[in-house]
Amino acid sequence: MYSTSKDNWKWQLLLAGILICIVVSMVVATKRVDYTWHWERVPGYFFYHSEELEKAPFDGQVTAITQQGELSTVTVKAEDGELFSIEVETAGVKVSTGEELFEGDILGSNPGWHIGPLVKGLWTTIWISFLSGILGMILGLVTGLCRVSKNPTLRGLSIIYIEIIRGTPLLVQIFIFYFFVGTVLNLDRLVAGVCALAIFSGAYVAEIIRAGIQSIPKGQSEAARSLGMNSFQTMVYIVLPQAFKRTLPPLAGQFISLIKDSSLVSVIAITDLSKAGREVITSSFATFEVWFVVAALYLAVTSVLSQFIFWVERRLSVSD
Amino acid sequence: MIKTSHLLKIFNGRGQTVRAVDDVSTEIARGEVVVVIGPSGSGKSTFLRCLNGLEEFDAGNIIIDGVDFADRRTDINQVRREVGMVFQQFNLFPHKTVLENITLAQTIVRKRSPAEAESKGRALLAKVGIAEKEAEYPSRLSGGQQQRVAIARALAMDPKVILFDEPTSALDPEMVGEVLDVMKQLAREGMTMVVVTHEMGFAREVADRILFMDQGRIVEEGTPESFFTTPREERTKLFLNQIL
Repeated sequence: MYSTSKDNWKWQLLLAGILICIVVSMVVATKRVDYTWHWERVPGYFFYHSEELEKAPFDGQVTAITQQGELSTVTVKAEDGELFSIEVETAGVKVSTGEELFEGDILGSNPGWHIGPLVKGLWTTIWISFLSGILGMILGLVTGLCRVSKNPTLRGLSIIYIEIIRGTPLLVQIFIFYFFVGTVLNLDRLVAGVCALAIFSGAYVAEIIRAGIQSIPKGQSEAARSLGMNSFQTMVYIVLPQAFKRTLPPLAGQFISLIKDSSLVSVIAITDLSKAGREVITSSFATFEVWFVVAALYLAVTSVLSQFIFWVERRLSVSD
Repeated sequence: MIKTSHLLKIFNGRGQTVRAVDDVSTEIARGEVVVVIGPSGSGKSTFLRCLNGLEEFDAGNIIIDGVDFADRRTDINQVRREVGMVFQQFNLFPHKTVLENITLAQTIVRKRSPAEAESKGRALLAKVGIAEKEAEYPSRLSGGQQQRVAIARALAMDPKVILFDEPTSALDPEMVGEVLDVMKQLAREGMTMVVVTHEMGFAREVADRILFMDQGRIVEEGTPESFFTTPREERTKLFLNQIL
């Protein structure tokens, strides 16, 4: 047996060596395919600075331009008397007083910071995963309870649901949900995407919950029942809290999978992080960089989640 | 107080049926301490579990304090709050503190206020001698302490009867005494108790009556005095020879 604590630094050194080797070989590999890295193009897709063009909302005449230092207020009057005022940067004013304008003519411009597609995509991925995670949790809890219920109808329904969802690819489910269910019920693509993910994760959560409930010793519910609690109270106060604690690690794994699986909703034209990445590549041509960045962003989100679960687990372990 | 008539409980398994409780008829009076003994597999725990509905019986009937188990309108949860149970494996709720273990059912089943439940819980913990452990989780307690908490938990519901299912069998020998002392105190206070146990000393000292069960039937019953000194049945003699 190695005494790993004594020779710890040697192993750390080996680890660092292996990591360096991997990075070096990647650099060499990209050299061989003649790839030019353009990391400098990436930040612009997170946030960018640009001139926002302000346009006339209707046909009319510029009645006044009042200057207040850096900013000027342009007022446009329509033929029916309607007034429109907007603040633009003084240097960017493109019209003069009395000028006749048509709808859509540029009045001036305002410089500003804008959120880029990668951040928008990241946000879409986060909220879609979060929402479908919550819905999946609720669905999974209900299904898991049905799965362990004594009622054959409820048990049968939950088994059929779980088997169908676990036995078919998520990609196919998303297509069916969007093209069939979505068409029948006239669902928005976002709703369809979230529902498909929720139903998908619900089936897995249900199995996790079932295993958790069944792992609680029978004596626990017997003790609760012997005190006069009904089966609902026993479930809520005694079994589920203990089952929840035991199922946290597999549930965490399930939600991390969900975040990654959410990339599949891009097939129904939801601009999540991976679709944003693909779109960014078409304009930046920085294929390698963008995919690395996208991977890093997914990794960041899943790491935050696993740290949070780890924290909850530690808090719940006080009764051990 | 408790009346069972021709109670039958059948277990089906692997093609064979076992009559775990077979034609058991007995009456237990208010304030009586009945100790049920018998070899393992004799159906004594199953009989006990039938008395608060943890096992459903197949024939016969149980009437506790006028409540008829066979009546379809009987709410078993109402029966259970009057019939406390103490288990071999304690079955404390590991995610609740000692005090919460005792107050939980009081508040949600008996609908007592938290303050009332807590003061009752503290009084009972003092009674079983572990008042200082109220904020601990059960896993930090010894087996004997856990079982005493379990007894306090059952008492908190103000039951009319308490069933003890081999309460000392899972304990280290040095902890058996502290649990039996609590049970003796309860017996002195006039609690109606049905105790399944292998503690013959306890049976002899505390029991008003002993039921000896074998193969699901009551083979012999009587006072401890007559049971231990002048057993009538062959099987009783055999059993007593083996354990004494």
